[in-house]
Amino acid sequence: MLIVVTFVTFALKLTPLAFNLFPYQSRWLPYAIVIFGSIVGLSLFLAKESEVISYMGDDPKTCVNCHVMTSEYNSWMHSSHREMASCNDCHVPHDNVVNKYFFKAKDGLYHASVFTMRNEPQVIFMKEASQEVVHNNCIRCHTQQVTDTKLSSWIENHDANRTDRKCWECHREVPHGRVHGLSSTKYTLAPIPTDVKKDIIPEWLKEAIKK
Amino acid sequence: MKNWILFIITAVVVFLLGMLASSVINRKNEAKFAYTPMVKINENEPRNEVWGKNFPKEYQSYLQTLDTNFASNQGGSRMIDVLEEDPRLVILWAGYGFSKDYNQGRGHYYAIEDIQNTLRTGGPTGSDDGPMPSTCWTCKSPDVPRLMNEIGIDEYYSGKWAGKGSEIVNNIGCADCHNSEDMSLQISRPALVEAFEKMGKDVTKATHQEMRSLVCAQCHVEYYFNKKIPGKEGVPYLVFPWKNGFTAEDMEAYYDEIGFSDWTHKLSKAPMLKAQHPGYETYLTGVHADRGVSCADCHMPYKSEGGQKFTDHHIQSPLNNVANSCQVCHRQDANKLIENVYSRQKKSTETRLKLEDGLVKAHLEAKKAWDLGATEVQMESILTDIRHAQWRWDYGAASHGGSFHSPVEIARVYATGLDKVQDARVKLARVLADLGFNKPVEMPDIDTKEKAQKFIGLDMEKLIAEKETFKKNVIPVWLEEAKQREAKMDAKEPELTK
Repeated sequence: MLIVVTFVTFALKLTPLAFNLFPYQSRWLPYAIVIFGSIVGLSLFLAKESEVISYMGDDPKTCVNCHVMTSEYNSWMHSSHREMASCNDCHVPHDNVVNKYFFKAKDGLYHASVFTMRNEPQVIFMKEASQEVVHNNCIRCHTQQVTDTKLSSWIENHDANRTDRKCWECHREVPHGRVHGLSSTKYTLAPIPTDVKKDIIPEWLKEAIKK
Repeated sequence: MKNWILFIITAVVVFLLGMLASSVINRKNEAKFAYTPMVKINENEPRNEVWGKNFPKEYQSYLQTLDTNFASNQGGSRMIDVLEEDPRLVILWAGYGFSKDYNQGRGHYYAIEDIQNTLRTGGPTGSDDGPMPSTCWTCKSPDVPRLMNEIGIDEYYSGKWAGKGSEIVNNIGCADCHNSEDMSLQISRPALVEAFEKMGKDVTKATHQEMRSLVCAQCHVEYYFNKKIPGKEGVPYLVFPWKNGFTAEDMEAYYDEIGFSDWTHKLSKAPMLKAQHPGYETYLTGVHADRGVSCADCHMPYKSEGGQKFTDHHIQSPLNNVANSCQVCHRQDANKLIENVYSRQKKSTETRLKLEDGLVKAHLEAKKAWDLGATEVQMESILTDIRHAQWRWDYGAASHGGSFHSPVEIARVYATGLDKVQDARVKLARVLADLGFNKPVEMPDIDTKEKAQKFIGLDMEKLIAEKETFKKNVIPVWLEEAKQREAKMDAKEPELTK
């Protein structure tokens, strides 16, 4: 995706240059403009088709732009975390804005390249960098639970367990379930509307009651 | 030369861009095939098996509500003839349908069969015949929202029960709780929406967790048929009496204010109230509700099959599935947990039976007073006490799970009932003494259901014969009509595009 973005920016930068490049008249000028125009147009088409803009936000539906994430989306959709945390809340760092977008771009670019090359695994596991980010995000919200001093006093190895291990070594079902991948979600229907504000009374019933 | 290189580079770049664009489009199209439903489910599709084609796991677990093997201390999935078990109930309901026949219900899959078979719905011979109104179908089937949408709510509630027999044939199922587009939970019955409106609450503000109880609260609640709604006079409109609140006292006050009674007692002539099944209301007063546990958390816990997690649609007593319900939170041994439930239930039953005993005596003593020539002035406050006492007894008894869902509240309600029935009997003793009868009223022999029913003057043989004729002559016609009607409902091919 980043390739596209850089290319578009590059092309945009060049366009005024292209116009200024020809203060003198040349018979090639119209051809040059047409060719540049085609490249820019094609890039814009690509940007639209790949929904570049959506990658700037936090909507979990963005992650199912690629269907490879459908089972991850669905398992999250059916977990309690969906009420509180989006994909980005866990999977990108939240220490500062620059790091957030840097990590997101890095991760996203990697995903996009793997997916484009048709190299995606059936079962997705986190790489080490990503594990670190997620672990920190668990702690970010659950500080109260992981640093509860009462627990240290009566749970064996509580201190060691919470500092040396990853949360999901024990909380294995949270939130995507123990078995990852397409086989763990029956209906890979995505995106499923997760808008909790959706009306729970169907239109026909509303109208029937009014009568 | 320089120009040629530039030309070739540009051509390559455009070519690669085109490849990338084509790849993006291809991979986006793949997503459309990742999930292909078997059928397109229409809004208000009443046939559960059609939904089952797309959602086999949920449907198959729902089919398990057919199972009638589980028996707990006081319930389970088998059918229990409650009148047989406790014939005194026949006296409490003398003059009302429940004295004819009352069974502890089976699973959702039996909804239609059981309402057709109960003696309470009688043996209608035509569409305008029979003791019950059409409103009685309201909780039995996903055909109800379909029909309400087709003919309107008032029209649906109008007419006799037998008038809609061929329209309502599918058992309680998918469309009662689910949106057909995305399977999210939704409300399909107007009564719940209207009850929230009357309380000044907005049901649409409910959270997902609340919805996991509210879909059940469309039916597992106290209700009555209001025939006096302005503009809808004569239509037995289904209403939940929640305006003042959910407690026994709140609902009692509501009924007193509007002067409503379900029937006049045949023996005592008291204006009686029949509590239906205030399951949701009593659950709300319990500790599980207080901690945010929903109905579905225990009665439809999550289940795992082949690494896939889904909601178990075998709606049943959690005591038959302690591992997935109770033990998700409580770490104790399953037997210990069951023992804890039973102890609450048994203690509650102990008090209930005491109250029941007092009520039976009160009804018979009141009858004696009338027989001896008591006046309405003498009896008025006594009858009110009996009405209130039996309402409180019923509020607990009919709440079924109430003695577990909210043992303290149910104990309190029974205690106030005992107080009321005691008041009634003290007053009755005085009235009887005034009438020259100063000794205990003799109790009839009501050891069995048959004896009790004979005592209150029910002609059971006639009722049973009528039912048999109805089952032989009417039900097959209903089913045939329904079959022909449903054959015209086509299940559409699914669409690939989103």
